[in-house]
Formats: sequence, structure tokens, C-alpha cells
Amino acid sequence: MKAFTTQAASALKLRSAIIYAGLMMLLFIPVNIFAQADSTKKEAPAAEAAVAEEVPSLIGPSLNFITVQKANNSIDLKAAMQAKVKGTFYRLSLLKVSFVLVTETGDIPLGFVITDQYGKAVLNVKADSLKTNAEGKLNFKAIFAGNKGMEPTEEEVSIKRAHLEITPVKEDSLLTVQMKLTDLGTGAETPVPETTVGIFVARLINPLKVGEGTTDADGAASVEIPNNLPGDAKGNITLIARLDENEIYGNIEASIVQPWGLKVSDKLTALPRALWSPHPPLWMVITFSILMAVVWGHYIVIVVQLFRLRKEEPHTAITTKA
Amino acid sequence: MELNSYQQEAFNYQRPNIEKFSKSNLLWIVFFLLWIMVGGYALYLQIAHGHIVTGMRDNVVWGLFIVNFIFFIGLSYAGAIISGLLHLFKVPWGKPIIRLSQMMTITSVIVGPIFILLCVGRFDRLHHLFIYPRLQSPMTWDVLAILTYFVGSGLFLYISLIKDFAVYRDTKMNVPKWKQKLYTALALGYRGTASQKRHLIISQNLLAIIIIPLSIMVSSILSWIFGMTLRPGWHSTIFGPYFVLGALYSGCGVLIVAMWAYRKMYKLQNYFTDKLFVNLGYCMMVLAAAYGYFTFSEYFTSWFGSAKWDADVINKLFSLQEYGWWTLFANLFGILVPIAIVAIPATRKVNWITLASFAMVMALWVKRYLIIVPTLETPALPMQDTRMEYVKYTATWPEWALTFAGIASFLLLFTLISKLVTVVPVSELEEPLHQHNHHLEPVVVNQEAIQTV
Repeated sequence: MKAFTTQAASALKLRSAIIYAGLMMLLFIPVNIFAQADSTKKEAPAAEAAVAEEVPSLIGPSLNFITVQKANNSIDLKAAMQAKVKGTFYRLSLLKVSFVLVTETGDIPLGFVITDQYGKAVLNVKADSLKTNAEGKLNFKAIFAGNKGMEPTEEEVSIKRAHLEITPVKEDSLLTVQMKLTDLGTGAETPVPETTVGIFVARLINPLKVGEGTTDADGAASVEIPNNLPGDAKGNITLIARLDENEIYGNIEASIVQPWGLKVSDKLTALPRALWSPHPPLWMVITFSILMAVVWGHYIVIVVQLFRLRKEEPHTAITTKA
Repeated sequence: MELNSYQQEAFNYQRPNIEKFSKSNLLWIVFFLLWIMVGGYALYLQIAHGHIVTGMRDNVVWGLFIVNFIFFIGLSYAGAIISGLLHLFKVPWGKPIIRLSQMMTITSVIVGPIFILLCVGRFDRLHHLFIYPRLQSPMTWDVLAILTYFVGSGLFLYISLIKDFAVYRDTKMNVPKWKQKLYTALALGYRGTASQKRHLIISQNLLAIIIIPLSIMVSSILSWIFGMTLRPGWHSTIFGPYFVLGALYSGCGVLIVAMWAYRKMYKLQNYFTDKLFVNLGYCMMVLAAAYGYFTFSEYFTSWFGSAKWDADVINKLFSLQEYGWWTLFANLFGILVPIAIVAIPATRKVNWITLASFAMVMALWVKRYLIIVPTLETPALPMQDTRMEYVKYTATWPEWALTFAGIASFLLLFTLISKLVTVVPVSELEEPLHQHNHHLEPVVVNQEAIQTV
């Protein structure tokens, strides 16, 4: 037998006290020696912050305004609203953008559109009903009147009426499109020479450029189309002739649908196995289900056994010797 | 509930440990709670300011939290496998440590998953894991597997405690009323009738049978979170068994350290004998050798293949300017030192084995860090943002605070369980064939406890 003496006990107590004291000190070690600087945190100077608080500044939005003349003699008036806040551009949705036709006698309202989630507003107007000015031009204005948080802004565009015609030509296996660009500003149809017009094919998100041609003295141009473009199930492709950001006419476009593409079935095909597959493979479902059923089945059997055990408690208790 | 004389003696000897709540116990608990509070403050900062307060960024998206998660979950699997094997094969010398390994299982399976929750940026979407599960995602496998495993390990611990609860219930112990009532309720009316014994044996055997493959599966699934990802150092067929072995190995080390601590605190030399330490030391040595073989195989295959990404990671691991010293520590103390200490008769002693186990546990924690961080610092695509804290991970103080809070929670749960039940199981205990132990001095059985009986 090993007996404890009072001295040994006091020594033990002293040792325990030292250990506790050490551990408590450990608790208060400034663990932030491990901390690293956070470079993403930018602190504004105090003075600047104070000024910013005193004068709540309005957001100055920018308005991008373009026109697109269509083949059906209508014009799309397209406005896009965005603003730069703390170095980041935001598209401004749910803002009212009004469009007007500017004439010598005054502004004629054409209508208004609320910007969508991308900050865009598009108004289609019939060009034939619009009155041109003395130079044969149409002046449009997009206006945002401002609100509590934003300053007002407006943008003006001046264009001359023009018409772009696109005609498909198939000679043997050679596929071409012929385009004709005509000025309508003076009332008469005048060919527009030496202007580059692009040919695009419509794709899922943005049109794909397949060629371009420069108009001759008759305002005509011809572009060859590749014969291996993927189309829809019937092989149809949409060809778009487009004059982009022209100083006089703005944007003009015309399109046609031709069965010149490769037939691509639009039927749903089984996806290859991938992380983003909507459903797990069948074998996985079966294996998983079996494993879970086996394990949880065991648990259920065990719980049932425990219930039986509880139920079978005898009325006369057998006590321990203790 | 009847006990034989050896079991009765074991109960009487341990009884004061669950009856008394000393000042030192209280101090320990307060100490752990203080650490947990510091962790709570760090968690508050993380929730209030987001994960910017951690060292995790776009490239290194996992850090200390996931290291701790793997570490604790590994301990849990080890506890379940060890206790399951000891029960199934009825290893006579293993009876005293079954309870301890089950305690390790349940405490670590509670603490471990908390760390994975700390990695989740959007707590408010946590329930989406259950309402929109993707069965083809290893994350879903892991969530379901850990939940299933948690239930299983809880049941396993509880079932093996029923007989002991019956003993506590039938003994007029000097404990508060609520505790006595708790023992009565948890004993499930067990009186040791033949039929009740049969129900209990069926339940225990079923659970022991199911818990071993379940632990292996769940540990493998944990490894597949990494193994199924096309990243250098992770995408490896060896990862499943490597994780299982690593878990078992580190669990063995923690078990030895826990045995040593309880042997000292509760003076359990008669149950946690020198022979038991040496036996577990042999197990640790065999596991160390196997773990060393797996580690060598893993490194050698990657190095020999010289695929660019693999070579990048291997170079980082072995470069002294990067992780070389940590790799050396992990492999020296994680593999070679435990083997040497157990292999040499002069060091095959309780304290040496415990010291080797402790160093090995530390080394295996570092090894988990080396599995995760260097790989994440070696992305397949060029980094968009090359600020140093985006390229290289450094843990911040909230991460360390939460890590220590997790360790404190683990130790606190251990302490609380050992105040509720005896650390050495009483009713299952068998008298060893050779009681005489040359290394042991006779132990004074607590006289006070005997007098109260």
C-alpha cells in the first residue's frame, strides 16, 4: 500500500495550482499574432467620410441611346441605363425612359418604356409616320427625368432614313446573299455606295459574323455563305445583314430565313455523365438505397429489441450486493 | 443486477469518480467553457463579418476547419472500429477500453461536424442539403453517412451502457436525485433476466457487426470528398483506405493518451495496465508501418509520374522553403518515432508509448493540413487574384480560437461523460487470467467508497 502524506498532498496541490495558472495564462495569449492583414478592407479617410455623410450625392446615371432601322420600315429606339457606383457598373432597372421626336416646331412624344432587369428600354416606331427635318433627318431624344436618388439625363441621336434589302441567291452549291442599301432621306431611293455591310447568322446568344461586303455604285454587295452552318431541325438558318454604327444612318438591319444550314435535331438526347446531370446513375441510386436500408434496418431491429427489453422488466427487482 | 466479485470491486473502486464533483473538476470545466466562449466570440465575428475574418479565400477555400473536421471524424471512426472489433472478437484484455473508445466515438462525432458547419457560408441555406440533395455529390453522401453513423455510434454506446446503468440504479449511490432518475430511465428496466440478456446480446452483436463496415464506408466517403475531385494530391485511388487507416491510427493514439490521462487522474492502473498499453502499442506499431507504406506509395507514385500538377504539389511538400519541415515532422513523428519506440524494449514503457502516441496524434493533424492546404494552393487554372493571402493560406486568430474551442468541447464532453458513467465498464469486465503484474505497485482502493457500500 502506498500512503499519501500531507506533504505530498500539498506538493500535489501546489503543482495543480501551477498547472491551472499556466493554462489560464494560455487562454489569454494574444492569439491574433496569427492574424493576417486583410487587403480587401479599404478604409476611407475620416474627413472624406464625414463630407460624404453631410451631402448625400445623387447618382449620375449614363444613358446609351441607339437606333436600329428595320427592313419593315420601322425603327427600334434602344436606350440602356447604367451607373458607376464605387467603381462598379450597375445596370439600372425599373426606370422610366421617354422617347421624343425632335422637330423644328417642337418635341413630339413617342412614348415611354420602363427599363428591364438589364437596364434596357426598347420602343419600336413606324418610320413612315415620322416627319423628317429639312436635311431629311430624324432627330430622336431619349430622356430620363431623374428621381430622388438619381440625376436626370438625356441623349439625342440624329439619323437619315435608309433601307437595307437582303436577297438569297443559290447557284448550284454556291450560296450567296445580295444586299442593297438605299438612302430614303430625300424622299427618292438613292443607292448608298462604298459602305461596308456585315452578314451574320443568328446563334443562341449573339449573332455570329460570317462575312462582309462593300456596296458598289448601285448600293449593292454580295457575300458568300458557308454551307456547313448548323441550323435547326429543318436546316433553317437566319441570315442577318447589318450596318453597324454608321455616322449617317445609325444601325440598319434586315434578315431572312433560308434552309441552308445542316439539320440538327432538337430532340432531347441523353446527357453524358456529368457533375451537373439532373439525375444520378441508376446503379448509384440502387446501391445507396440498399446500403441505407441495410443500416437503418439494423437500427430498427435494435430499437425493437430495446423496446422488448423494456417491456420484459420483471416485477421483483434483483438488487445488487452493493 | 448482480455482479461478480471482480466486477463489484471495479465498481466500488470507480464509484467515487461519478459520485463526487471536486473543485478541480469544476476548474477544468470552467477552463474549457472559457475557451468555448472565446470560440463563440470568434464565431460571432465570422457570422457578423463573413468568412473574410478567416484565412480562406477564392483559391484556398478550406483551411483549419476542414482539417479539424477530418481529424475528429477520424477519431470517431477509429473508436467505433476498435470497440466493435474488441466486442465481436471478445478480446479479454480489451474489455476495459471499450467504454473509452466508445466515448471517443460519440464525442468526436459531435464535435467534428461542427467544424464543417463553420465552413458553410450560408447557414440559412443549410436545410437545402436535405430538401435539394444531389445523390451524385460526395457532399450529400457525407452528410447522410455522418448522420447515419452518429445514430449508430450513439446507439452502440448506449446499448453497452444499459447493464451499467442498471448497476448504478440498483446501488444507493450518493448522487443527486435527477441523476438517479436518469440512471433508472436509461437502464430500461434491465434486471438481467435470460430474455433481457438475449435482447441485449442480439442488439450489441448486430450493432458491432454493422458499425465496423459503416465506419469504413463513412471514412471512405469522407476521403472521397477529396478523392473524387480532379486535383493534384487528392485524386487518388488509395485515398479511401488511406483515410480509414489514418483514422484508425490516430484514434489508437488518442485512445492511448486518454488511457494514460484517466489512469493518472482516476488511478486506474489495475484496469489500464502496462500490458494493455504495450498491446495497444503493438497495434499502433503495425498501423504505423501500414500508414508509412501507404504514405510512401502515395508520394512515390506522384513523384515518379511527374505530371505537372502532381509534381508542383510534391515539390511544395518537400521544399524546406514551403512545407518541407512540416512534412518531415508529420512523417518522422507520425510514422518512424512510434515504430521505434514500440520496437525498442527499453522504450516499450507506458510513458514512452503515451509520448509517442501524443506526438503521433499531433503529426497526423499536421498531415491532414498537408493533404488539404498545399493542394488548394496549387490550382489547375492560373489564379485571377495573386495577392499573397489569396495564393497562400494563413490561418487567422478566429480560426485558431474556434479550433481550440473544438478541442475544449471534445475534452469537456469527455469529462462530463466520465462524471456520468464509469470509465471502465463494470458489468462486462472479466477478471484477467494473470492478475499479477510485475510493473504495478499495489493500488489503494478508495477506502471511503468501500465504507459507504
